[in-house]
Order: sequence, then C-alpha cells, then structure tokens
Amino acid sequence: MSDGLVKILDGNTFVVSDSCGDIEASLTDPTGLFSFDTRFLSHWVLTVNGQRLNPLSTDDLQYFETRFFLVPGTGTVYVDSELSVIRRRAVGNGFREELQILNHDEKPLDLTVRIEAGSDFADLFEVKDALKKKGAYSARVTKGRLVLGYERETFKRATDISATAPARVDKKGLTFKTRIEPHGEWSTNLDVVTADLGTMEGHEQPKFARPRGRQNMEANLRRWLDEAPTLECDWDSLRRTYMRSLVDLAALRFSPAISGYRSLPAAGLPWFMTMFGRDSILTSLQALPFTSELAATTLQALGDWQGTRLDDFRDEDPGRILHEMRYGELAAFEERPQSPYYGSADATPLFVVLLDEYERWTGDRRLVRGLEYEARAALNWIDEYADLMGNGYIWYQRRNEKTGLENQCWKDSWDSISYHDGRLAGFPRATCELQGYAYDAKIRAARLAREVWKDPKFASELEKQAADLKRRFNRDFWIADGEYFALALDSDGEQVDVLSSNIGHLLWSGIVDKSKATAIARHLLGPRLFSGWGVRTLAEGEGRYNPIGYHVGTVWPFDNSFIAWGLRRYGFKEEAARIAAGILAAADFFDGRLPEAFGGYERDLTRYPVQYPTACSPQAWSTGAPLLLLRTMLGLEPVDDLLVVDPELPVGIGHVALLDIPGRWGRVDAFGRGRESSNEKAPLRQSHEPVAV
Amino acid sequence: MSDATAEFFGSLTQRGHVPLLEKARGTVRFELAEGKRTDRWLLVVDRGDLSVSRRNVRGDCTIRTNKALFERIVDGEVNATAAVLRGAVTIDGDMELLVQLQKLFPGPPPKRRRRRNGAGGRGKA
Repeated sequence: MSDGLVKILDGNTFVVSDSCGDIEASLTDPTGLFSFDTRFLSHWVLTVNGQRLNPLSTDDLQYFETRFFLVPGTGTVYVDSELSVIRRRAVGNGFREELQILNHDEKPLDLTVRIEAGSDFADLFEVKDALKKKGAYSARVTKGRLVLGYERETFKRATDISATAPARVDKKGLTFKTRIEPHGEWSTNLDVVTADLGTMEGHEQPKFARPRGRQNMEANLRRWLDEAPTLECDWDSLRRTYMRSLVDLAALRFSPAISGYRSLPAAGLPWFMTMFGRDSILTSLQALPFTSELAATTLQALGDWQGTRLDDFRDEDPGRILHEMRYGELAAFEERPQSPYYGSADATPLFVVLLDEYERWTGDRRLVRGLEYEARAALNWIDEYADLMGNGYIWYQRRNEKTGLENQCWKDSWDSISYHDGRLAGFPRATCELQGYAYDAKIRAARLAREVWKDPKFASELEKQAADLKRRFNRDFWIADGEYFALALDSDGEQVDVLSSNIGHLLWSGIVDKSKATAIARHLLGPRLFSGWGVRTLAEGEGRYNPIGYHVGTVWPFDNSFIAWGLRRYGFKEEAARIAAGILAAADFFDGRLPEAFGGYERDLTRYPVQYPTACSPQAWSTGAPLLLLRTMLGLEPVDDLLVVDPELPVGIGHVALLDIPGRWGRVDAFGRGRESSNEKAPLRQSHEPVAV
Repeated sequence: MSDATAEFFGSLTQRGHVPLLEKARGTVRFELAEGKRTDRWLLVVDRGDLSVSRRNVRGDCTIRTNKALFERIVDGEVNATAAVLRGAVTIDGDMELLVQLQKLFPGPPPKRRRRRNGAGGRGKA
C-alpha cells in the first residue's frame, strides 16, 4: 500500500500494522487493532532471539486476511537467513495470527520467540484528535492468558491474548522457548479477542467470543461475489475496478452492535467504520443494481433509529434520520454526541428516495409497507422541522454549538459554503441539493402512497407540494446571468453565488426545469468544473477554489457518479459517459480502488489523479461509484416489472455486458456496444470544448 | 404510584397502541436495583401494543440498571443509548428490543433545551 501500512478488516473490526505485521502506535496514528471505535491493541511486536524482523513480502490474501514473510535482522543489504518467519493474520472478533517459523539449516535452532502486547484503549476520536484518557488500565495473567483491561466507571473494555503453544505469559506479553530441528518448523496460533458492548454486559468478567472462522468468512465472500452480476467487457481496467469494488463493498459491510446484527455499508476505513445515514444511503443507492441487501438493511436500521424527540445535544428531531452512530468512550460519556447524532439535513429526504428506488428494483412491497410510518415521519420532518426560516426550504443550523456539525450537507467542512468573493455564508443555510432531495422525496413518496400505501389523497398533496417547491426553487436559486443554480441561500434569502458540483445533484433529483438543464450540463462538462477526470466540487475561478481543498476544488468519485446519473435523467447520455470514462480511468491509477477524493488539477497538467492526502480508503461511496457509473453507461432503469437498458458507452469502449442483474424481473442481462469499434483499450478522448446538447 | 418508574410504566399501559413500536415483539424484563432490593417490571410488546405487569418471569431481553438512573432516563435527563454504551445499563438477550424501546424515553426536559428557531419559528439566528 502507498502508505506502507497493511490493513485488514471485517465490518468495524480492523487491524492496521506495518509491513512486518507489527504495531507500535502513538496516540495520534491510526495503527492497531480497532473494534467498535476503540483501539484494543496499540502495541504488538514480534522478536526472535531479541531481534526484530525484516519484511520480505506481504501477501494480501483477502480483505480480512494477510500474510507476512519475514526474516530476522534489520538494515542489512541482503538477506541470507537460516530461518524464516510467516505470520498469517485474519480479523474477526479481534484477530487470529498463525505464527510459523521454519529452520532452513542443517543444525537445530534454539529460539526465544517473544510477542509484546499492550493497549491504550483509545477511542477513535481520541486518536483522530489526540485527546487524553480518563480511566484506569490493568493487565492480568490468568490461566495462561494475558488480559489487558480499561475501566472508567461502568465503562469496561478488555483484550484477551492467548496462544496454542506453551508460553510464559507476563503482563507485557508472551514468550516461547523452542528448539527447531534441522529443516523443521515450529508454530503457534495467537488469538486476540476483544470484549466490548454485548460481550461485557451483565458479567463481572468479560465473555470472550471465539475468533470467527476464516472458512466462514471465505464462504461468505464467495457467496457475495457469486450473487453479484458478471461483467464482461473489452476494457481490462474496468473489470479490475468492478471486482475491487465488489470485494471492498463486502469488506465494508458492517453489523451495528445494537441493530440486530444485519449488515449495511460503513462509511470508510479507518475513521468511519460505522453507520452513517448519508453514506449508507448513497452507497446503497449506488449498489442497488448489483445487490439490494445493503439497501434493505440500511432502510431498516435507519428506520429503527429514526429520531423521536427533540434533543439539542444530538440535534435530534422527530422523524429525522441519523447522521452518525459511535460506540466508543467519548460517545458513551456524552463528550461527543454520536449516540447517535442526527445533524444531517440530507439523510432524511434521501431515506425516502432510497425507499422508493429500492421498491422499483426489488418489488419488495412488504418492506415499503413496513416503513410507511417512518417514511411519513421523514416527510413530516422536511416540512415541520427542517424549514427553519418558514419559507418552504430545508435549512440547517446546529443546536449543539460545541460538538455538533456546522455543515449538515455532504460538503461538511468549515469552508465549503462560500460566495464568489470567498466570504462564508451565515447560518442557517439552505444548500441547493437539499431542496432537490426534498423534491425527489415528495415525488417518489407520492408514487409509494398511490401504489403501496393506497392513500391517493396523500399522493396528490405530495405532488402539489413538490410542484410548488420546484417552481419556487427554479425562481429563487437560479442565477440568470451565469445560467446556473446558486450553491445555497443564506439567512437573508440571498444567493450564495458560486458555481459548484451541487448542480449535478439537482439534475439527479429532477428539480431542474427542462429549459435550464442544457445550461447546467454545459457547466458540468465545461472547463471551470470539469477537470478531465471529473467534476470539481467547486469551479475554478471561485474565491475559495483550491484544487486540493477538501470540498472546494477536489474531484469526488461518488459526487461524479450521481452527477452522471443526473445527466442521464435529463437525456445527456454522452456527457454522462464522459464523466464515467474520466472517473473509471482515474480508478485505474489506484488499482481499481477509488479514493474518497483526488485533486482538481487539470488532467492535461498532471496526467495522473493526485490523491487527497488524508482521504479514507477504501471508502464506501467511492467503492460504490464504479457501480453507479456502470448503471449509467448501460442506462439501466427499472420500469414496472421490466429492466430497460439504454446503453451509451464512453468512446473507446467496444462492448460492456452485465449478466444476471437481479431485480423484480428475476435476473436479466444488459449489453452495450460502443459507437466506434476501436481497438484502443484505454480511454478516452479528452475534450474541454463546450458540450453540444 | 408515586415514583417516576411506576408513573412511567403506568403511562405505557395508558398509551394504547404505539405506532413507533410496531416492529417490536417480545417480553422485556426490567431489573432495577435499589439498595438490596430489586424492583421488577415486565413489559410485553406485541407490534405496538403494550402491557405491563410485575410478573416474575424470564424475558426475551433483560435490562438491568439501578433505579435512580432509570428514573433519570424516564425523565429524559439521561440518554438511554449512551448509558448502554458506557455499561451503566446492561442488556441480556435480544438487543433489537432495546433499539425499539429507547424510542419510548423522552428527550431532555425543555428547561435544558435552548429555544429552537424551527418549526415555523421564522426567527433568524
């Protein structure tokens, strides 16, 4: 990996180590064994006869499993060792490490093998923000095991370390004395098991679950891949990217502890391995043509946690869909509000959007009927709680002024909502895409009300509200001389007048008047927004534009996938294909794993996409982006019980076939042929000319 | 029926059908420790219909905490989910039921809440 760190994960348990498999974490770096937002191992170092080991190679077997090939000694130019060490590590309820030492010599070897272990039990937020601990640590040796513990009042977390081979255990680790015969080998399993919520409760001593079997996880991954559609195409890198996306999506599946152990997509490694309203919904939308399981779980879990009361600390309102759930110490002691935190203005309308899109793909009306109450509560939130200014738009302003989120839209960094001259807008803010989502939620809910909930009166009322919203929006947000929609309205009702990628989400939502769509498409593919790889978050020439500014100039693959979907919705097939081509070409530079964001530099200038420095990887909605782009290239659209296919492939791709697409139709295949029968595999022509539409 | 716990359970029986709990089905046993004695309550949830008794039987889920903390939860002063996360409230059995039940607890009392601008408040911040 580019940062030299090796990461394996299973749901929200993950291990980040160096290339020897060792962990030596400082408070501020995210290495270690993490589970449910707590670090359970911050120190894990192997020595043989007192010597550290040297990596020969690392073999990433699966997302949950890796193998390290090591030899003793460090710093030598060449290696000529009589012994080699193999650490094979698989994650699952902690991790299991199979340690194997081979003697290549003619003589027997007497070895002292030592594993040093320790934990700071840091909350992931403490790692991220370098905070200090308040509780007490313990280390106990009991029945040949080492149990590391942390307690603060009733909050308890523990790590249990044991080995299958005889070991001398002390409070800082395990020591093995062994003699290996010539050409012989020695091995032991090291089991590290975490105890937290669910395993600690009601028990004086933690219950330690057994490490989950590797075979189970392998079978589970195989089933996941088998059930996904098969991609055939003449673009090798797209096939690689597709496979990478499927595997990463499997890796990011996560079962929230207090949500019935079903799985939904967590947001991203390492900081965001938890349930996020927005990320889980958007990733589920991206993945719908490939798997509907994530959407079903996301809808149910978010419905279960839907807000029911007013709580300023959590920015909770009745009907509001959560933003983020955390399980660590800071959330537990209410030093942070994620138990859960509700400060998101888009998750609630998007919840309704996902519910309808899910039904259109799966025909699963039972789930839609089951969530009628939650959907109505969400729609009610839009009108009753989100309209802070009482003028028919969704506004946001945090009530938790200390630890709540200032920006409750997807561009959630502090400087994301600015005017052309660089000033920041005051609060409350009504960003444009929120209004699009509200419009789409109402239109889609109207369909569900009519067809599933059998409430035509409610349907008509929603349609009336949506039409009114669309009319007002196209008047109030439209910047006539620039021919685009303002990023937001400020608290005075003035337009926040920058040109941004948010206008692409407006196409996706359907709120844009047909007469204005051509101008929007022209901007999206125009030189100020389109870098050649994709659409920038903020246009070149704006006051705060910065090609490596998190939300003010970088290119986000997920953002682009929804923009491409929006372009398709308004009939701009070729433009959608150009965005797909750019993002998928970028994916090739990252071995098929798109980062959260990359630099907004002109493609001609850098020739390769420059990764944003601290971006998460893999990240769920970046992982989902190639899937949604495949959908847009093939023009997949469920219409009643049929899947309509209307392909438009990027120039340079000869054919794409997606076989066994699951849905209410059973399974069907989709085929697309390129307009030019070209032999060139690599994309694609670049053009910054204005788009003819 | 003078304490907040009894009032809370009393109010549940009077609520009739609770649409928020239509997905919940099961028996929840509450064990609320108060010094040496334990106050026991049994809540039966059947797709939104609630009934409460003092029967001493096993539940699909047992919630244990001390009574003083429970009273602060039913008053909205302590958040139930955070209390579970820090082990001040423990659960044995079906965790899913807890996810449903936490909806029954009120938010912080209004005196602790800042006035919100929302819901047609039309005020600017």
